[in-house]
Amino acid sequence: MAIFHTPKEAFSALRPICVKITKEQNVINVQCLQSQLQKVGDAALQELQEYVLFPLRFSLRTPGLKQERFVQSVVECIHFIISRTCVQNQQQLCEIFSEVSLCLSSPGNHGKLAIISEELKMAVVQGLIALLHSAYGDILLCLYQPHMLPTQGFVISLLLDIAEHEKSRQLRVLALKCLLLLILQCDCPDTHCSFDSSDLLQVGDAFASFLPGIALGMSRIISGDIKQGHLVTIYAIKVWYKLVGLVMANDQVSKNHHDKKMLFVEDSKLADLVICRKPEWVKDTANKLDVLLQKLCSCATGNPHWKVRLELVELVYHLLSYCNKSLKQSIGHLLEILVGLVGDERPEVHTRCGQVLRNVSELCMICENKDFTDVLSENLHTLTTALPRLMRTLDDQSKLKSLGLLLGYLKLLGPKVNVILNSTVHLGRLSKALMQILELDVTDVRIVEERRLNSEADDLQHPMSFLSGWDHLRLGNKPTMKRKYFKHFTEECVFALLQQTCRVLGYYGNLYLLVDHFIHLYQESVLYRKQAAIVINEVLLGAAGLDVDVLHERETPVSVDDLKATVTSIIEEYISRANWDLVTSIESEHEAGLNTNQPKFLGFTKGSHSGCLHTSQSLTVHTMNSNIWQICIQLEGIGYFAQMLNKEFRQLLMTSLYPVIEKVGAETLLISQTATRTLTDLCQACGYDSLQKLINLNSDYLVNTISLNLRRLTQYPHTPRVISVMFSYSDASLLPLVDDVVQDVLLSLDHYHNEKAHLIFNVLHSLMTALAHWFPPKEPAQKEERPHNKACNSATKAEEIQCFFKDYQKQKRLAEGDVEDIDLDQTEYEISDHLEPDITFDHPDVKKELPAHIQIAKDVMEKCIHLLSDKSIKLRLKVLDVLELCVVVLQSNVNELLPMVHRVWSPFVQRLTNDDPLVVLRAFQVLCRLADTCGDFLKSRVSKNILPKVIGYLVSQAPVSAKAGPIYSHTLVYKLQLAELQGLGKLCEKLDLGETDLDMVANTCLPYLSSRQPPKLQDAACSVFYHLNEVDPDATWLILNEVYCPSTYDLPHFSLPPIHLTGMGKQRNEFTDNVLQLLQEFE
Amino acid sequence: MDKFLEGSLKDRIYVHLERQGPIRDSQHGFVHEKSCLSNLINFLKRRQRSQMVKKVLGTRAFIRGDFCGNSMAIPPPDPKFVLRGTGASVNTLHFCCSDQEDWNPILFSGSANGQIHIWNLKTHRADKVLESHNKQSVLWIHTLQGRNGLISQGRDAAVSTWDLSEGRTAVIDSIPLDSYGFCQCSLMQEGVGHYLLASPGSTSSEVKILDLPKKTPVWVLKPPADAKLGMPMCLKLWQPPSGSRPLLLVGYENGSLTLWDLSEKKMLSHLACHNEPIMCLDFDPERAKGISGSSEKLLSSWGLDNQQNLKLQNTLTLVNAGIADTCIRQDKKILATAGWDHRIRIFGWKKLKPLAVLQYHIASVHCVTFSDHVVPSERLMAAGSKDQRISLWSVYNKP
Repeated sequence: MAIFHTPKEAFSALRPICVKITKEQNVINVQCLQSQLQKVGDAALQELQEYVLFPLRFSLRTPGLKQERFVQSVVECIHFIISRTCVQNQQQLCEIFSEVSLCLSSPGNHGKLAIISEELKMAVVQGLIALLHSAYGDILLCLYQPHMLPTQGFVISLLLDIAEHEKSRQLRVLALKCLLLLILQCDCPDTHCSFDSSDLLQVGDAFASFLPGIALGMSRIISGDIKQGHLVTIYAIKVWYKLVGLVMANDQVSKNHHDKKMLFVEDSKLADLVICRKPEWVKDTANKLDVLLQKLCSCATGNPHWKVRLELVELVYHLLSYCNKSLKQSIGHLLEILVGLVGDERPEVHTRCGQVLRNVSELCMICENKDFTDVLSENLHTLTTALPRLMRTLDDQSKLKSLGLLLGYLKLLGPKVNVILNSTVHLGRLSKALMQILELDVTDVRIVEERRLNSEADDLQHPMSFLSGWDHLRLGNKPTMKRKYFKHFTEECVFALLQQTCRVLGYYGNLYLLVDHFIHLYQESVLYRKQAAIVINEVLLGAAGLDVDVLHERETPVSVDDLKATVTSIIEEYISRANWDLVTSIESEHEAGLNTNQPKFLGFTKGSHSGCLHTSQSLTVHTMNSNIWQICIQLEGIGYFAQMLNKEFRQLLMTSLYPVIEKVGAETLLISQTATRTLTDLCQACGYDSLQKLINLNSDYLVNTISLNLRRLTQYPHTPRVISVMFSYSDASLLPLVDDVVQDVLLSLDHYHNEKAHLIFNVLHSLMTALAHWFPPKEPAQKEERPHNKACNSATKAEEIQCFFKDYQKQKRLAEGDVEDIDLDQTEYEISDHLEPDITFDHPDVKKELPAHIQIAKDVMEKCIHLLSDKSIKLRLKVLDVLELCVVVLQSNVNELLPMVHRVWSPFVQRLTNDDPLVVLRAFQVLCRLADTCGDFLKSRVSKNILPKVIGYLVSQAPVSAKAGPIYSHTLVYKLQLAELQGLGKLCEKLDLGETDLDMVANTCLPYLSSRQPPKLQDAACSVFYHLNEVDPDATWLILNEVYCPSTYDLPHFSLPPIHLTGMGKQRNEFTDNVLQLLQEFE
Repeated sequence: MDKFLEGSLKDRIYVHLERQGPIRDSQHGFVHEKSCLSNLINFLKRRQRSQMVKKVLGTRAFIRGDFCGNSMAIPPPDPKFVLRGTGASVNTLHFCCSDQEDWNPILFSGSANGQIHIWNLKTHRADKVLESHNKQSVLWIHTLQGRNGLISQGRDAAVSTWDLSEGRTAVIDSIPLDSYGFCQCSLMQEGVGHYLLASPGSTSSEVKILDLPKKTPVWVLKPPADAKLGMPMCLKLWQPPSGSRPLLLVGYENGSLTLWDLSEKKMLSHLACHNEPIMCLDFDPERAKGISGSSEKLLSSWGLDNQQNLKLQNTLTLVNAGIADTCIRQDKKILATAGWDHRIRIFGWKKLKPLAVLQYHIASVHCVTFSDHVVPSERLMAAGSKDQRISLWSVYNKP
């Protein structure tokens, strides 16, 4: 297709059709013109613009009814022309503007929208848009001259009508776009001519007249049906804020230009239309706009489409940055929207919101805008006042919203938050609100009930497993924090929000002021104590700048020294006895009861903290639960503080490590877990590799407190816990310091011989457990005995006999004194190797110093000797436990062990023979342990002192248990029987008892093989025979066969006398099953 | 008429008083059935009771309210901290806390295995350990020029000076002494970097004064041969506030005490205040009054009159014998003694009133000293014992 580039060619081509249109106005002609126009180049068209437009304008202007299709095609053609050229003449612009817009109005009533097709409307609006775009330079401004006001008003009212009432979304959006264009705020990508402020002033003046109409119209659209589509709403919001932003802009409103403006207005009629933006008008309008704003915002915030909400953020930003003076009363509301939207679920919205907030708060900082702070603080005040009520009544989602608002205000205030904190009323409200919201739910019974699994009490039987219970902790696994339950909300995110709030407070606020205030609350009432502790913890985290999310950096971070000083005093408060030694379980109450020995002290605590009575009357599950949580929160706090100070915290370990460790050993599961967490925190913060290192390197601090507390054991009954925890985490390198403590412990045992011996033995128990763990016993020496005998046993019969004779011969030769040298050397060497590995005979006079742990064990055993015959059963049992551990530790050092055993023996025998069955039971277990290690040494003693007693007991009880019912197995007598039977066999084997004794044992146990006995006793009796079989298989075989002999024996040779066993040929009886089983297994 | 008026007036007043309530129930004389007399009787009863309580407490309690400000008897306190790890019995202690405000306060301790520990009193840990005197027992230590220098006396009959500045731990000089006894030296600063050191001399009863940087003997003080004083056991070199001449107090083996004028090499006064060897002494130049302890049960204080004569003022008999060390606090309010009976005793310095018995150590206490903290409430007392521990106490610190 040929294109006419020169105006001349174009003109000649266009002329006929233009003439034709003027003459004959129909659609075909216009379409023909349009198709011709496509062949004309842009430059040529610009030249001919006026000429080409003329017939079209003419056809629009001619009076009379016109076909819609024709009008539409004319407007489209105009649109086509204008969009390719630019309008350079002011007059022409105004005229076309009015002419095109006239097409929309109904011929009868100019103000009303004509009833025309949507296509036409669309064409007209598009035409208007094109026209406004094509206006060249600043000639556009002529549209805003006062004399154009009526036309403008006319167009605007039409556009509003379209935007509001049309069905087609596209059309409505176009109309709104056109409105935007009219206020020079088009958002299309084309470049626009920029106007200076005086030009904008003119536009603003013009639109001041239309502000009410447009604003109202837009509000109606925004609050309209959601089904209208988000695009419409978005554009409506845009129009609203752009317009308001233009008309009410700070700089436009503030300028004194009204008089000058009046001069331009000649016509009095027009003068009415012109609005003078005087302060009164501004104020009045602002009030009205505020109402509209609230309405539209409440609609828009609830809009399900995120883009609408995003646009709302833009609205807030625009208004806050341009109209913050003129729209003063709305600032609060605007901020509320903004802050509320920070918590929006769409990332687009809340990131933008965050940006805007940051900008806004910078704005308010830069301008030193006092109004802003005032508004914020006032909002904050009303919010904090309302918060407790809101917390009680709203659902979680709304709570989240109001708390988000609180956080937003604080963030916005930034460093200015101090202005608020300095006011007592404000701070009071804020803190009270926090106190109420953070109230914990303390009704859960489980928290009180749950116990640490490996508390010392259950593990007396298995000393080693006590230690293994700690192993998972050694690895440094951090137990997860149990979540807190609050009275007023359940969602975790609400708590997270509150944490952030406190941290922001700490970040900006005056640390001393805050801490002082909350510590005061903490001390004031037990009701606030937990919440205040939570707040303090978080505030300090914030002050250190940890995990805090803020809009802008504070100017001066809190110095480390200040932090340290604060932390030191807080920790002091936390670990003061009134706040740390709380009753957390019924069991511990009797321990607390011991404290009544110090009436003065208790009286003191009661006096100052009347809220927390430790007495039994007021002790409920709730109080205990509350106490547990308080301790946990405080522990958590200490962990936080460590994270804040990092290595600086090392100095504070002096005071804080001991209390934390004390709680690690607490019985309540939750406390113990939390304390372990805290310990891990401390470990990481202070830069230690492992918990073991933490404790080893700071054991001097621990030992110091321990040794001081041991002197006042009644006041500090938890000291043993600390010791046992310390031992369990640590290793043998701690021994030199431990030595020191042990001396203290033993000394205190002398001081508190009666009342406190029980507690002290707890300490000794944990000490010995640790020693047994650190110095595991070597394989007992007895194992290597009689290897050749064993070999004989397993051999076949002929060889067996041969072996027996050889052995017999050897023994006989030895007995006759015919000793081979090699043999002797070997045995001697072995003996010295076994028994005296440590002692060298360099200085026979000087007694060789023993290893520390041996010395300790000896000292402890010494104390056991004295207390074995104590009045209290409990203590006797405890002493036996410790005694057993001592034996375990000493077993590698027989030279020390045996004299001690000798000394222990006589009180120990008393325990075994003349005591409560419970004690006898325990003592028998110890005896088995002793037999393990001492072996021969006890042989004669056992057979002389103990065996008769034990056997006598078993014999006398055998008929009883044979006849007993099922309940019998729960009695102590039964347990003792069982323990003795179970131990007896091993005892015989270990001690290598003589024949008569073995015979006695076997005879005693025979009745227990009866099937009438309880099954467990039968099993135990069987085990005795297994052991007897190890010691003397022949005799055992014989004894069993005498009871019941299953088979007859054929004689290998007639010269031998016939074998006759009493058990032969007996009927099947009660013993048959067990005997058969035993005999089978022996073979 | 008058009576009637009076009566009605009294009624009105009474009603007013009852309504407004300025009179409490305890107010006597106004209220019905409570005459002035009954109040007086009550008051007397209260006084009597409190007097009795005071008497009881006075005999039983060791700490009296004179310093604490309350009249309740409280149990003696525990140590504030116990320093462990000297590895041998602690013979001597010396604080250094007031030289620089922002520096950590430190405590020097010398123990029987020749080690000198420098304890950081903030962390309560030994910053450094110096090996000295060929592993022979350290008898006495003192700082020179703040914390930059140290002087130590050991059982190897030598005095060493140390350079501790900028983290160094070097022996600058070693001065041999003539005596192998247990007598601790005494140091006095004469000018900047210039010291006088009193040390036991070669022959018995003799005391030698050295000029420190130069190591030259300045004076040798010999008591008359017929005095039979025995070995010098303890020395105290001091400068009276009025005169410039330094004076020296010497406690001897025979339990007598002498005062010497150094520049005139003259014994000014002599006092036989103990029957057993004097183990320790301390002197307060302000009150011209000193205290000495010996291996017996006696603690005696003596004064110095204007003619420079020593006069026995006060003696106090203790429960157990043997005082190893004594120290008067800088503020001259209290005095501490280190006892062989494992106890530290605190006395009021003015009248030697027993205030407290501090029981912590499990072996005899060898030395006791007070810190020189600038802030009185931070002041500490330290005691070193044969049980290898150093206990730190905070006693009577409240203003």
